[in-house]
Amino acid sequence: MTAALELVSAPTVRRRHRLPVTVALALGILALTALAVVFGGVIYPDATRQDILSGLLPAGTPGHPLGTDELGRDILAMTVAGAASALVGPVVVAAGSMVLGIVLGTLAGYERGWLDIVISRWTDLLLALPVLLAAIVVSGVFGGGYWVTVALLILLFSPSDIRIVRAGVLEQTARPYIEAARMLSLSRWRVMFRHILPNVSTLVLTNAMLNVAFALVAFSSLSFLGVGVPPGTADWGRQLTDNRAIMFENPWAVVVPAVLIIVVAAAVNLVGDWIGQRLSQVGVAL
Amino acid sequence: MTGVQITGLTVIGHDGAMVQPLDADIAPGRTLAVIGESGSGKTLTAKSLVGLLPRGFRAEGSVRIDDTTIELTAGDATWRTVRGGIVTLLLQDPFTSLSPVHRCGEQIGWTMDAAGRRLSRGDRDRAIAERLAEVKLPARVARAYPHELSGGMRQRVAIAAALAANPRLIIADEPTTALDASNQAEILDLLRAIQRERELCVILISHDLGLVRGRTDDVLVMRQGEVVERGATADVLSQPRHAYTRALIDADPALAGRTAAAPVVAEGDDAPLLRVTGLVKDFGERRVLDDVSLEIGAGRIAGVVGESGSGKSTLARCIAGLEREDAGVIAFDRVELAPGRSSRTPAQMQIVFQDPYSSLNPMMSIGAILREALRVARRPAGEVGSLLEMVGLPVEFARKRPAELSGGQRQRVAIARALAPSPRLLICDESVSALDVSVQAQILALLARLRDELGIAILFISHDLAVVRMLADTVTVLWDGRVVESGPCAQVLTEPRHEYTALLVAAAQRENSTITVGSAGEDSTE
Repeated sequence: MTAALELVSAPTVRRRHRLPVTVALALGILALTALAVVFGGVIYPDATRQDILSGLLPAGTPGHPLGTDELGRDILAMTVAGAASALVGPVVVAAGSMVLGIVLGTLAGYERGWLDIVISRWTDLLLALPVLLAAIVVSGVFGGGYWVTVALLILLFSPSDIRIVRAGVLEQTARPYIEAARMLSLSRWRVMFRHILPNVSTLVLTNAMLNVAFALVAFSSLSFLGVGVPPGTADWGRQLTDNRAIMFENPWAVVVPAVLIIVVAAAVNLVGDWIGQRLSQVGVAL
Repeated sequence: MTGVQITGLTVIGHDGAMVQPLDADIAPGRTLAVIGESGSGKTLTAKSLVGLLPRGFRAEGSVRIDDTTIELTAGDATWRTVRGGIVTLLLQDPFTSLSPVHRCGEQIGWTMDAAGRRLSRGDRDRAIAERLAEVKLPARVARAYPHELSGGMRQRVAIAAALAANPRLIIADEPTTALDASNQAEILDLLRAIQRERELCVILISHDLGLVRGRTDDVLVMRQGEVVERGATADVLSQPRHAYTRALIDADPALAGRTAAAPVVAEGDDAPLLRVTGLVKDFGERRVLDDVSLEIGAGRIAGVVGESGSGKSTLARCIAGLEREDAGVIAFDRVELAPGRSSRTPAQMQIVFQDPYSSLNPMMSIGAILREALRVARRPAGEVGSLLEMVGLPVEFARKRPAELSGGQRQRVAIARALAPSPRLLICDESVSALDVSVQAQILALLARLRDELGIAILFISHDLAVVRMLADTVTVLWDGRVVESGPCAQVLTEPRHEYTALLVAAAQRENSTITVGSAGEDSTE
């Protein structure tokens, strides 16, 4: 029965904020990763140093707990140093596409008319672009590199943000409190950013968290294909592609970064879901 | 066919029992009314009987429906097998109880599917058309989306959907609050006819005593989670024993007559504050407003009455500039206003909407909402306190958020916000129809006081003639987008010239007379 689907709002009911175990674990993983980003350079100031003379060493070698790769680079040091590219890039991508989404999505949803048509067709166009092909073409034209990839991913991630914000704004704009704001002749900017935006923030933030996870996987894929970070950079995706050949001599060289990509992406997802739930409980209208 | 027995129904929330142990029996084909104002526990009682209590509440006790006994402590899996097929809930809000992205016919079809009846496409369409005909809707409604229908039509669709699975017990939670008087009676009579025919049990939750009387067999009066009075409906309403029951009866607008005597304004003085002439508005092919004219004098209250879909909200929105009229002239203080918001200033007019739950930005505190409105009028932020005082709310409310307020309190805040730019005209678009009778009476009294104290003119739009009569100096009756009658309130009510007006008046008076006869109590409301 449809009538039974009505969500019951119970503002007077206080809920205990107990942290679920999975979320606590995910937060722990993210905290460790963040620590690695901040202090990685202190622990391993020279993570990418090559030692071709010693060459490949197995795990457990003194001084190299996870061994080294063919170029004699320490796997543990490389992995710790790789945290920076694994976390910073995706966060910048998610934040960047969120800002694009908020600005373009709000404009499209509130102003409607030709602006909406232009912005919506632009998102359609971006969605139609195959990510990998676009990345390969762009790195071919601009020479690739970490920040070129970041810029490209911001662009390619923005359609989902734009569409989500636009849909949220469309829904809110029809509500009486927005019409009441129009009756007060408030400026359109005030209506958009003071009234509408806070009410779609749950959607936007939850989507941004999911985007961090997607961006991490996208980054790693691009690095694995050799169009993300340049060779010699500490990066988990790069490690995967570089160390494929020594998978049987030193499995840790591949397993550790691969597992980390999965675990960190999953942790970001879990925390993102949890934040979304918490926000919608505080009374943010979805 | 043994009807419904409720045994020891209790609802427990964080702060203890919200509904004290309650027993009730309903014989097949009979209707039990549960009345009380908001906070009395009547909605919690209803929700506990379908296993839809909000988070943080739990129920105890059991309910037996014919041969099925359901423990109210049952989990969601159990309820899912019972809901729809055996017991069903009709909700009060026609705005949210239907899915906005599915056609109405489809939604009626879901309940049929849930009841386990597999039909061929043609049979199914015919069955859906029959269900729609039962609630007096044309078959084409099956193809419509809820947003294409008026509030009243949507509630009819919800009723059709609820009845489609042939449930044994229907719990109707204020099902007709948003319908106009003639529709309200019609829908409930229809529900009653179907109920008698199929020997269904109905629990009707309502604050509207006029509806309860004559359409229900027994009544429970609830206050603060306790049953304070029970018995046959006719007996309880004609000889209320409990002071609270008497207070409820007295607060009913159908009975109470005018709350505020309108000051006599000298005739023949200067031009009206607002003059609407020949207003026309089309939505696509449909003409929603057809040559509508209207006048409001400064400091007067003009009522606009009409059923849902008559175009009364569109009229309000055109005057407010939220909608652009296709033809006609809207003149404010002798100055013609171009269509749209840009030709109007906040100090000319403000509007108070129907739904108190979405009228306030949920992310802003009451203080922030009022400060923003004051800033528009270049009034100091310190006046928030006096605004709140003016609408009868304590100053501490400035720190609260909308979610912490009741419907009536939110509507007061919406009125305070509308008053901040000191408008000369206040448009009330069904502003009291989502509220309980007692709260409704308070808001009406507030509006009458504001008119007297501030000299503000009010355009009061409602489907409820009984409510308009309490407040308005003049009445305009809208029917299908046209003005069928207008004039001084008393004249229109006593000598209706159009048959639709006569129908409305008769509907309002029917409620009035039944209640007047029934009310023996002389106690005044709080």
